[in-house]
Amino acid sequence: MPKITFIQQNGEKVVVEDAVGTLMEIATDNDVEGITGDCGGVCSCSTCHVYVTHDWQDRIGSADEIEMDTLDFNEHKKPNSRLCCQIELTDELDGLIVEVAPEE
Amino acid sequence: MQDYNDPFREARAKCPVLAAQHQGETIPMILRLKDVRKAAKDYTTFSSDAPRRVPIPSEEDVRTVRQYPLEVDPPVHAEYRKLVEPFFLRPKQPEVLAKIHSLIERLLTEACAADEIDIVKDFAIPLQSHALTYLLNVDEKEAELWISWGIHVFKDGDGKSKGPFMEKYSQQMFEAAEVNPGEDFFSALNQAEFQGRKLTMEEKLGYANIAFAGGRDTIIHTATRILKYFAENPKALECIREHPEMLNTACEEFFRLFIPLTHIGRVCPVKTDVHGHEVEAGDRVSLCWSSANRDPEVFEAPNEVRLDRKPNPHIAFGFGIHNCLGQHHARAIMRGIVQKLSESVASIEVTDQTELIEHEEDYSRKVGYEMLRAKFNAR
Repeated sequence: MPKITFIQQNGEKVVVEDAVGTLMEIATDNDVEGITGDCGGVCSCSTCHVYVTHDWQDRIGSADEIEMDTLDFNEHKKPNSRLCCQIELTDELDGLIVEVAPEE
Repeated sequence: MQDYNDPFREARAKCPVLAAQHQGETIPMILRLKDVRKAAKDYTTFSSDAPRRVPIPSEEDVRTVRQYPLEVDPPVHAEYRKLVEPFFLRPKQPEVLAKIHSLIERLLTEACAADEIDIVKDFAIPLQSHALTYLLNVDEKEAELWISWGIHVFKDGDGKSKGPFMEKYSQQMFEAAEVNPGEDFFSALNQAEFQGRKLTMEEKLGYANIAFAGGRDTIIHTATRILKYFAENPKALECIREHPEMLNTACEEFFRLFIPLTHIGRVCPVKTDVHGHEVEAGDRVSLCWSSANRDPEVFEAPNEVRLDRKPNPHIAFGFGIHNCLGQHHARAIMRGIVQKLSESVASIEVTDQTELIEHEEDYSRKVGYEMLRAKFNAR
């Protein structure tokens, strides 16, 4: 099971070993600052916004149309933005590093 | 027969806006999800700096104060919102959530013990009123008065608005908190500083006004409709019982479909072309949440309840800077209802009902129930 690293806005890292579920669930279960996942993971609220570090962008892939539409109006959106409720963790994502986006 | 649940289906397919009549005022209603989101984000073109005119119909006859932070634009909006945000985050605290769950358990136990109840009067209104005392951190006995305000503070029951009474009551609460300050909403606003000064009474009353009126009929109708849904779909309750992981997706689906608030208004400060419809400076447009949530371009089978719908990019709590302050409260309550219902209730049988339909010249829409009598069977 993968090891995931979240880099919070304050620069501190939260490392989660043996992560299971979606990236948002892992973040909220481990009190990652800046990820609240208010809608429970249905891509409605945009409170689980992260930036995927460069090395991981190809493996994670980009947002689909629905996710992109939710992100589109986020003032902190970047080309490597993702809503982490839409990222299901697999063994292939072992070592993934994401940066938590600023709150809206 | 008219579809009260999605009265905008035909209009939305034909055109991005429906220029609808609302008490003599033509208000273009923006109907499609992407367009509503875009407009909700564009606070320069679609302003909220319009005291008592953000709700549709406008509330000039039922309140004297501007609602904060709903009826202000950036940059002051963020500062106004920040002052009350801690209270609206309280339902995320485990001890507050536990109180909400105990309250729901008590009301469901009472419902099962009675021959039958009116879900609106005996369950949803007490639930909303008591839960609000937890949010505002005031004595729970205040709920008894709030229960008497009915479903909608401004337009319930005998047809007389309770708005003036509510403003007077709120003023008394602020004055009492001045004498005996505590950790409650009223004391916090008495002590709050905005741009280096204390808030005026008008501002404080504006905060209290939306705290009482904003989350009232919305919570009451959503809770009632969720119970009605499970009465009609007992297998869905079984499904939640067997798959508790569906609790969140189910509730988001209920928010999407049962949204009581048809729409909200914005004012165009200058003459604006809204999808081909010209809006004069100072006139209003509507952000039609309820239509956007049924947009077939985004939601497959939009009129179907799918308990596991995901993604579900609904905007039942609005979108952008003015997104609903009470959304954490609403989620805590509805998730609590569904969880406790699945644990303790076998079935619900509806015995009588009166639907509440919002009638306008160009559409009629079901928003909830005035009365919903039912028998609860315990597990």
